Amino acid sequence: MGSIRFDKVDKVFGPRTGGVKALDSIDLEIAEKEFVAIVGPSGCGKTTCLRMVAGFEAPSAGVVSVNGKPVTAPGPDRAVVFQQFALFPWKTVRENIDLGLRNKGLAKPERDERIAGALKLMNLESHADAFPHQLSGGMQQRVAIARAYVLDPEVLLMDEPFGALDAQTRVVMQEELVRLARVNPRTVLFITHAVEEAVYLADRVAVMTRRPGRIKEILDIRSVREAENWDRHQKIEDVMDLESFVHLRTHIWKSLREEKGAHGV
Amino acid sequence: MRDTPLSLAERIGWGALGLAALLGTWTLLTSSGLVPRPFLPSPGDVLGRMIELMSAPFAGATLPQHLASSFQRYAYGVLLAALIGVPLGLLMGWFRWLDDIVTPLFDALRFIAPIAWVPFAALWFGTGIGGPVLIIFAGAFPPCLINAYRGARFVEPRLIEAARMLGTGNLRTILEILLPAATPSIVAGLRVAAGLGWQSLVGAELIVAAAGVGFMMVQAQANVATPTVMAGMVAIGIVGMLIDIALRQGEAWLRRRRGLEA
Amino acid sequence: MIGRRGLAGLTSVAAALLLWFVVTTLTGLVSPGRFPSPAEFWQSLVQIATRGYAGAPLLSHAVQSLKLVLFGFAVAVATGVPLGLWMGWSRRAEAAINPVFLLIRPIPPLAWIPLAILWLGLGDAAKIMVIWFAAFVPSVINAFAGVRAIDRPMIEAARMLGTPRWRLVREVIAPAASPMIFTGLRLSLQASWTTLVAAELVGALLGIGFVLNVAQQDIYPGMILVGMVTVGLLGWATTWLLAMAEQRALAWNMAARD
Repeated sequence: MGSIRFDKVDKVFGPRTGGVKALDSIDLEIAEKEFVAIVGPSGCGKTTCLRMVAGFEAPSAGVVSVNGKPVTAPGPDRAVVFQQFALFPWKTVRENIDLGLRNKGLAKPERDERIAGALKLMNLESHADAFPHQLSGGMQQRVAIARAYVLDPEVLLMDEPFGALDAQTRVVMQEELVRLARVNPRTVLFITHAVEEAVYLADRVAVMTRRPGRIKEILDIRSVREAENWDRHQKIEDVMDLESFVHLRTHIWKSLREEKGAHGV
Repeated sequence: MRDTPLSLAERIGWGALGLAALLGTWTLLTSSGLVPRPFLPSPGDVLGRMIELMSAPFAGATLPQHLASSFQRYAYGVLLAALIGVPLGLLMGWFRWLDDIVTPLFDALRFIAPIAWVPFAALWFGTGIGGPVLIIFAGAFPPCLINAYRGARFVEPRLIEAARMLGTGNLRTILEILLPAATPSIVAGLRVAAGLGWQSLVGAELIVAAAGVGFMMVQAQANVATPTVMAGMVAIGIVGMLIDIALRQGEAWLRRRRGLEA
Repeated sequence: MIGRRGLAGLTSVAAALLLWFVVTTLTGLVSPGRFPSPAEFWQSLVQIATRGYAGAPLLSHAVQSLKLVLFGFAVAVATGVPLGLWMGWSRRAEAAINPVFLLIRPIPPLAWIPLAILWLGLGDAAKIMVIWFAAFVPSVINAFAGVRAIDRPMIEAARMLGTPRWRLVREVIAPAASPMIFTGLRLSLQASWTTLVAAELVGALLGIGFVLNVAQQDIYPGMILVGMVTVGLLGWATTWLLAMAEQRALAWNMAARD
């Protein structure tokens, strides 16, 4: 469960004629428990793709479906981790994580249990009763991830989740996410403009063209990763040194550079 | 451009100079006889009269009693405005259809100065408590409504999206997302409402009251009792200032609690 | 052409008017002694517009009130804005004047009415004085804030270019502070109207507030409503004019906002 499908999806912002066409005939299938990253130049519409799966935007043409059913509204089955965290500043860490569970109507004992699990998983136990503004960016994003994870969603949507973090924190979060993904896999749609991040994290990477965005190509990372056994390395920098990694990364860079070069930006 | 910031000593110095100039000119005008006493009592006269009024009644009651009457109506009016305005504003911020219905009506009535309700207030309530309360309500209601509305409408969209993503229903969203998010705006609105309410109160009492500081001042004016008029003004000013200070403190406390200020 | 919002708005207002009619004329739920029916409102309007009420026709009353508001507003702005600019510019001026302000500010403008009447009687001068007090403060405060909010580099650039003081004020400081100044103007206009109506209610011989007062004493709800509607319309008209002036003056700002 948790498959995603884009079926000839267009997206136009503004009036029907003369508006901005953000997406042009997107076809993409994501299998359940697959980790797919979308990379592309700024403004290519990759975030819009995610927002359509989340239910915040609707396609102008075509269908976006999850588990075969078209998406109509947001919900906890497709949990979102936002770039700007979007934590509720007046709620403590615990209360932020609790809201989704309360909406599901779970009883207190079960909610407490799940929250405790999430706090442990994301190393937040000592900060459970802090307010977001008291935490660093990395910690806040951990809370956002915990909030999503605790719902046990079929689909996890991550919109440049580490974009607002500094470089060192970013690396730590990437390593953690890999650990989570291997241990407790689920369908993930991950948006980023950082190529290395995409290659490190994903099973497949989709490269988008400049606006109006189309899927330019899709690379299968997983087969390479398993064949070369990247997971034997714990540290990111060791993985990123591998020839197979560099090869994939460079290929995608070149592909993206064509997008920029073609239009002179 | 702006000269460098002044030290605390310099600030106090210049401030004292300004105040001295004001009080000095005032005292000079009165004591020199340039301006006749009934016209402009000296600062000393006014202060003396204020102290007298603390125990000696004028126009039916002492100054503290008048202030108490005034404050009571004021409190009713502002509370009513807040109890109706804030929830309505929040609901309007969330339910677009409600906004579409109420806003035009509100816009139509907006330009009628609250004080213009005085005649109807007099007609409906005589000199009873309803009159001033109505006018204070008319003055305090708009900021309560508008600020609650703005606070709810302009909540960071990401927070609303996060709430929707988490499957939060309407009531819970309003109570746990909109209300806390709008609280800074609401509190600022309450502060403005309190100020406007106090001003409306004075206006109302000048015309439709049988007690209260405004009433006292009108009676004093009719009797050409200028020191009493000015004593009333000072008293009103002081209470107004205290109300504002109290609300500012409340606002700061709330912000600290919410973690928006360290 | 009107759009969904406009349509909803018209519907609201129409529904409210209908409700008014039903509650007063049709069902008599609200007695004529308390609130006028549409018919009574119309009759009162016709009366004051043609034959006059409280000593003069509607136009004379309206002109009187409008005259006082505009004059008081103009004087308040002409004195308040320069003072605010000066206080924003000179820390010394701010330090000296601020305490005086803090003393005077808490006194509600309307509280000056009895004193104004004692000093200046029931004529125009007393009204202008009170309007001045009311409209002066927001102009000063907002002009002050406008200057303080100016980016330092902008002033430094102007000085580097050798701009003399008066040109600096006219061509750099005033324009830069103008968005906030206009906010102050809007508040001043609001205060002017409120104060004028109150002052005319307490003591006057002409003007809309006076009409309201006489109508209240005559127990003439229809005329009270006419007075209120007139106040509202005049207030709306003057606010609209100010908004037009603001748009013209701040055209550069609007463009920058896109």
